[in-house]
Amino acid sequence: MRYILMMNTMRAGHGVPQWSQQELQAHIAFMLGLNKELREAGELVSAEGLSFPDQARLVRAGKDGIPITDGVFPESKEFLAGFWIVDVDSPERAYAIAARVSAAPGSGGAPLNMPIEVRQVMSAPPPEML
Amino acid sequence: MKYILLMSGTQAGVDAYRAWSRKDIAVHMTILRDIERELAESREFVATQGLAEPGEAAVVRGEKNGIPVTDGVFPESKEFLLGYWIIDVATHERACAIAGRISAAPGPGGAPTNMPIEVRRFATYEPSKS
Repeated sequence: MRYILMMNTMRAGHGVPQWSQQELQAHIAFMLGLNKELREAGELVSAEGLSFPDQARLVRAGKDGIPITDGVFPESKEFLAGFWIVDVDSPERAYAIAARVSAAPGSGGAPLNMPIEVRQVMSAPPPEML
Repeated sequence: MKYILLMSGTQAGVDAYRAWSRKDIAVHMTILRDIERELAESREFVATQGLAEPGEAAVVRGEKNGIPVTDGVFPESKEFLLGYWIIDVATHERACAIAGRISAAPGPGGAPTNMPIEVRRFATYEPSKS
């Protein structure tokens, strides 16, 4: 079963966290180590980080399909900061990996305990929708 | 440059989609598959996925010793990721144009849904020269 783990932790206007170089390096080293472990276990499908919310655009189709872009978001909007797609045997295993991600070290090396949204990825639309 | 196009909506929106006629759903899916084929032919396609029902979503936090604590209760206003497209394009404008095409996919009665599509660039870094 494939799951996507979403780190919806960014807010409009936020950029790189105001951590020391050492704290940032510890956080990144943790993430790289976790990715390596998941890859070695054959569970990692992909892991990506996204650019900061100031570059995000919302697009709607206007007349004749011309894209209408908007870059102004409510302060409350949650932005995807990054995601992992994992291929695991059970939802419990997906939750366990999400908990590892959640506990990544932040300022002072303390676990961030970030909320990680876990959703199953559908391999195809249900037959009745084709 | 790689971009992710995020299609999000509330549980109420998903319930409304479930009430579409079979024909409306079939036309909608046909257009999305046409866009996918076009992107594959222009070598801009990387991946697309739909996600399982928001009702199956869980939010996980890592507590003491990394034990996952799951929560599946969300405010009605929460926007859930419904599906995404990952594309590899030459410009930001091209990413927005593709998002516009997806936004214009037909809904009930064949009218464009004009769903807002969030456009986010992947954060990539130059490989270390050392």
